[in-house]
Amino acid sequence: MTHISDSQNTDQRRFFQRYAPYFLLAPGVTWMALFLVIPLVMMVYVSFWTQTTFAISSDLTTKSWVTFFSSETYFGALLRTIRIWLTVLFFTFLLGYPIALFIGLFVRSKTVQTLLLVACVIPFWTSFLIRVLAWRPMLGKEGAVNLVLQKIGVISQPIEVLLFTELSVVIGMVQIYVVFMVGPIAFMLSRIDGSLLEAARDIGATPLMTFRRVIFPLSLPGVTVGAIFVSVMVLGEFATASALSGRKVNLLGNIIVTQVGSLKWAFAAVIGVVLTIVMAIVITALLRLVNLREEL
Amino acid sequence: MLELVDLGKSFDGVSAINGVSFDVGEDEYLTLLGPSGSGKTVLLRLIAGLDRPDAGRIVLNGQNITNKPTHLRGLGFVQQKYALFPHLSVRQNISFGLTNHHSTPISDANEVNRLCDEMLEIVGLSGLADRGVGQISGGQKQRVSLARTLVTKPKLCLLDEPLGALDANLRERMTVELRDIRARLGVSFMHVTGNEDEALGMGDRMIVLDKGSVIQIEKPADVFSRPATVSVARHMNNYNILPGSTRNNHFVFAGSRLSIPANVENAAFYVVGIDKVAVEPVEAPERKDAASIDATYVASEFMGSRVVYLFERQDGQVFEVERHLSRETPVNYIPGETRRLSWDVNDVLTYAPDGSLVNNSAQLRGAA
Repeated sequence: MTHISDSQNTDQRRFFQRYAPYFLLAPGVTWMALFLVIPLVMMVYVSFWTQTTFAISSDLTTKSWVTFFSSETYFGALLRTIRIWLTVLFFTFLLGYPIALFIGLFVRSKTVQTLLLVACVIPFWTSFLIRVLAWRPMLGKEGAVNLVLQKIGVISQPIEVLLFTELSVVIGMVQIYVVFMVGPIAFMLSRIDGSLLEAARDIGATPLMTFRRVIFPLSLPGVTVGAIFVSVMVLGEFATASALSGRKVNLLGNIIVTQVGSLKWAFAAVIGVVLTIVMAIVITALLRLVNLREEL
Repeated sequence: MLELVDLGKSFDGVSAINGVSFDVGEDEYLTLLGPSGSGKTVLLRLIAGLDRPDAGRIVLNGQNITNKPTHLRGLGFVQQKYALFPHLSVRQNISFGLTNHHSTPISDANEVNRLCDEMLEIVGLSGLADRGVGQISGGQKQRVSLARTLVTKPKLCLLDEPLGALDANLRERMTVELRDIRARLGVSFMHVTGNEDEALGMGDRMIVLDKGSVIQIEKPADVFSRPATVSVARHMNNYNILPGSTRNNHFVFAGSRLSIPANVENAAFYVVGIDKVAVEPVEAPERKDAASIDATYVASEFMGSRVVYLFERQDGQVFEVERHLSRETPVNYIPGETRRLSWDVNDVLTYAPDGSLVNNSAQLRGAA
């Protein structure tokens, strides 16, 4: 009797040993399947449904796809999204890199580094909407920027292009997302061993050369991670665009919001699929640029 | 060629380097020996220009370079931890100083490759040019770091504990190779180390640094046989140092009266080489011109070619006696037995209370 239960025990143990990795994987896989894979498949499926003014049916058609690519409004929104994304990416890098350089390389005390990084994150303690809307009194026709510039006599007429244009959307997004560029770059820079820079100087490289050939290449993984953060967030953006453009600048995200609002599920699904594909391409390209697994 | 004049540097009010003056000649291998914390790395950093001195000046070929930026000095500094660029291959590391030089960058790729290959061959790394620096061993990294510096043809190459991180075998090989490489290129080396064997074995001249000051600059053989101060003697790891005082032409150490060389007064340290001591039975007759103490045998250390016997002195400290096995066979003493340790008075060095050398019998005997 004991003999049998013993062998049963060892059998059981062997079973668990053999399949332990799968048991550990199961929760994660279930989660991803339920909330990522199935929704994605559903989204692709729904994008081929037939949409009429008041109803949607599961008869398959490519009508929504044709509308998207033939309509000036929708395809234009895709191009605009890409343009604004590239502009914001460029400026977050241009603005973020020097800040990161200062925090990561020039500040050598870890405590001060952490303090400065925390300071960068402080704006996130206020709500997203407040942060966006705060730009209105700044950029408006009688906003702070115009008032100050007029007071000190730089301009005589208020600059009207500042608010409710693509420019204001870019300004708002750069301000909100620049910190996601600063963090990863500062992290990579702070890991550069000071002796490398001394070695470069010692064998005759000027500070500028040292930056170009040593510091910048070593910070590239940080730039990539920062660019991925910024890209993912900007490509899916809609709130900043609608709040700072007076609904004049429509990004793909804005169109999804409107379509869902008017219950045009099939069309919203088309844009969702397009957006997902764009993001996938962007992230793949960025990861190709730098082998993160090797660098980090 | 390079001249340091009264160089001083302190950090937060604590003096790291104090009144250091010496010069480095052309085509010379200079070693600088100092315990950790003696300021040797600080000194190298001052010479390389990575730190600025508070006092004194650095003169290179008649030109004051004290405040010249590092990259304009034309000196090479091989760092202790190699500091190889992790994102570049071996070849790219070595050619870095050629292609990125501040005033005379070499843009011709063939020329760069030729100089690189030449240097790789000199340091014995031919065939590893295209490896990443993460794929080579510690000893190889050391060579790449050296090659990266030497390829820029520095006027003086500063090496900060270049053998410190290598294992014993590799260290011995690099000792020979470093000397060969230097001789082949005719570049002066200034090699900083905390290891007395390295400093003695490799230098044409050696400098002993302690607490931020230069104590002795001489040929290694002279430093070894005639340490300028009692602390240098301690560094050499080759001397028994007995503290005490002189009285009536004798040195009194822990109750023993020891003979001293003629004309020595006011000595506070009585120093005798560990290889100059004879081990005799306690009842052995006193020899003329010899001094002796009785000590208790504790243990022996077998070191391959030699054996070191450890005795306990009257004051509880260790007294070492070294025997070379090429000359005699090891003797087995019984732990706890008392032996008479004796030595020739002419082999004794005595030092004043301030640590300076009083007599110099080794030299006197050599001159006679």
